[in-house]
Amino acid sequence: MLQARFGWFAGLISLIVTLTMAAQEPVKPALNPRIITATRQVSIFTDLETRMLRTIQAKDQAALNSLVSDDCMIEMPDADPLPAEDWMPSVLAKNYVLKSFLIRQVSVIDQGDSAIVKFDRVQQATYKGAPENGEFFVVDLWKKSGDSWKLANRYVAKVGPVPWMPKTDAKPTGKQ
Amino acid sequence: MRTSLGKMKSVLVLLFVILAANFLAAQSLRPGSDGDVSPSGHVQDAAAAKQPAVPSGGAVVQGNGINYHNGPVLKGNPVPIYVIWYGNWTNGAKASDSQLTVSTIETFLGSNALGGSSYEAINTTYGDTTGNVSGHLNFSGHSFDNYSAGAKFGDRSLPGIVSRAISGGLPNDPNGVYVVLTSSDVNETSGFCRTYCGFHTHNTILGNDLKYAYIGNVDKCPSGCEIQSTGPNSPAPGVGGIDGIANVLTHETEEAITDPDLNAWFDASGNEDADKCNFKFGPTQTAANGAKFNQTFGGLNWMIQMEWENSRGGGCDQTLGGPFFTN
Repeated sequence: MLQARFGWFAGLISLIVTLTMAAQEPVKPALNPRIITATRQVSIFTDLETRMLRTIQAKDQAALNSLVSDDCMIEMPDADPLPAEDWMPSVLAKNYVLKSFLIRQVSVIDQGDSAIVKFDRVQQATYKGAPENGEFFVVDLWKKSGDSWKLANRYVAKVGPVPWMPKTDAKPTGKQ
Repeated sequence: MRTSLGKMKSVLVLLFVILAANFLAAQSLRPGSDGDVSPSGHVQDAAAAKQPAVPSGGAVVQGNGINYHNGPVLKGNPVPIYVIWYGNWTNGAKASDSQLTVSTIETFLGSNALGGSSYEAINTTYGDTTGNVSGHLNFSGHSFDNYSAGAKFGDRSLPGIVSRAISGGLPNDPNGVYVVLTSSDVNETSGFCRTYCGFHTHNTILGNDLKYAYIGNVDKCPSGCEIQSTGPNSPAPGVGGIDGIANVLTHETEEAITDPDLNAWFDASGNEDADKCNFKFGPTQTAANGAKFNQTFGGLNWMIQMEWENSRGGGCDQTLGGPFFTN
């Protein structure tokens, strides 16, 4: 009796295994990564985003003010929007330390006087001594302000821990 | 009876292991639905990350704002460049989808133009442990592809396009660079015009590790991929495709030579030599049609970005040994 039940059960599992294997898609050969030539807009906004993070590292309030519009809002999941007037003091505070960062996978939709910029930011940071590391998905809305650009809105969400640490072995030459 | 039950348990456990392994395998085998890969960057060689490269017979020079990661460079003298003209390059949607573009770009790549220029010689400051880049390249053949992968494709179609070009007569050359140039009606869905103007990579194709680049007709997005709408080689005002393509082509060929397998020359941010000077041109002159240019070779004027010279502390310049410029 027990053996008969076992036979049915084993048969059922074998059937599932067979069907699952049949459902697999044909294996496509893996492609190597590619190295892109960024568009002008990607170059411009990568520089702007990098400059903004460096001003935070340097605690340079004047430089950060020049990059952020007065009515800028920072939006995060499951939280009230954070006005720039609250956000800037928090990232410029001494107890927030942005040790290193990396921006990658930048794309830009250019709308003339505004631009939607999407990127991943990997960072190592601490706030009041606690780790604030991770990978963040960021969507920024930049608006033209005269001849320059200012951050008008930011949508940011943490997507995971730091996937790998940015290399820090190279000494900046000042020309990059 | 106990023995029988024990056997049954063992068989059940075995079946569950097979099932679990099968599900896991199925997860890892399925790529993205759009057929593209993310531009996730360089191959970080574990050994290279731990210890600096040690020159052993070649001229690997470090400390100029760009680092060597133990991979090979292309040392052909010249490095052959093969162009695959994909789509309609006779009378396409944009005026630059033309045979004039074909002939001008092929002239640009010649050994008496870019291929033998003092600009290309900047690449001689890069090498691997067996020698340096020659600083010479040459247009070495072309093929025309009549939409073999359609007017819309992703990165996964490119090896097939290269493969078909080789089957059609181009050499199977692991020491050369294949460039797939698409007409303006072709949509490379992984981000052409939105994220990039071109890219380079390598893959095993027809048994060889082949280096190839993708570049679209940049007249599709002049604001993103051209420095000026009318270039020094424009056949008419606002038709800047030739010069825009030449600029991106310069970028991709430089990088494909100094970092062909994505494990040779790049900086701490992942930027290769041409990335470090992207859309930086240095001093310019003005042509008769009002367009700016910064190079003259092969009997024509060109507006091409500077390249990062791996010497004298590193910097963007227009010719080997020339002054560095920041923009």
